[in-house]
Amino acid sequence: MDIAIPELGDVGQVRLVRWLADEGQHIHEGQELVEVEADKAVFVIEAPGSGVLRAVSGAPGASARPGQVIARLEAT
Amino acid sequence: MKALVHIRLGRERYGPTLDLQRRLRALRADGRVPDLLLSVEHEPVITVGRQGAEEHILASRRVLQRLQIDVHAVERGGDVTYHGPGQLVLYPILDLRGWGRDLHRYIANLEEVMLRTAAQFGVEAHRRPELPGVWIGLQKLGSVGVHVRRWVTMHGLALNVNLSPNLFSLIVPCGLHGVEALSLAELCDAPPELAEVEAAALRTMAQVFDVTVSTASREELSRWVM
Repeated sequence: MDIAIPELGDVGQVRLVRWLADEGQHIHEGQELVEVEADKAVFVIEAPGSGVLRAVSGAPGASARPGQVIARLEAT
Repeated sequence: MKALVHIRLGRERYGPTLDLQRRLRALRADGRVPDLLLSVEHEPVITVGRQGAEEHILASRRVLQRLQIDVHAVERGGDVTYHGPGQLVLYPILDLRGWGRDLHRYIANLEEVMLRTAAQFGVEAHRRPELPGVWIGLQKLGSVGVHVRRWVTMHGLALNVNLSPNLFSLIVPCGLHGVEALSLAELCDAPPELAEVEAAALRTMAQVFDVTVSTASREELSRWVM
């Protein structure tokens, strides 16, 4: 299952602030994964399902666009 | 029409207000309280947002201790800012799922509240591209910074009404060198009282967000957070 930057309205780009979970960690649905910031608004992205966090991309400070995949949840 | 419940906290220290916001935000996310708007005037405090850098606090910890100014690292967007007496702070706790799920529009609306409020006191402020907040030239009249979890907001806006300019010099506001804070009082022939500006901001909030604003007492608030 992909984890992507959600649509946040009229927001073209966000900046990754910090990851709240580590790659390889088992994640449950609704767990907070990463904070992103746009226009001085910090938004918390939660896990859309359960699984092991894989393929984390984007270090703090990196830019990303809504729809862009930034990690994956691997079913266990 | 949507409804917003306003609670006036008066003069408060930052820490307890932050705890209150966090508790109310969790309650709002669970649907146990309505959309809320807290208004407060803080005791002197410096807050560091998620983009904040400690070097943007210019005063030493010793000086800050002597001035009894706390420093809080907080979850809102943005860099370093100062809150203190003479500044109107509004903390909307809104479920943005009922407001179009649009972070950009939400921030723009907070700015609009400050622009229209300032205009009611004869002050024409403006936005600056890429620099959220409201400005008079290169000087900052008001700031925004929010945090959104499960689409529910906390933190909000701070409008300088009659702030001591000396205290803002303790920091690099928003991490932007050369930016100075400016208050409505410095721009008006008759400096407004904070209560007047608060009343104007609440009316403006109702217009900009197209809501009715009712008032709840602190006793009602206590029942919610018990």
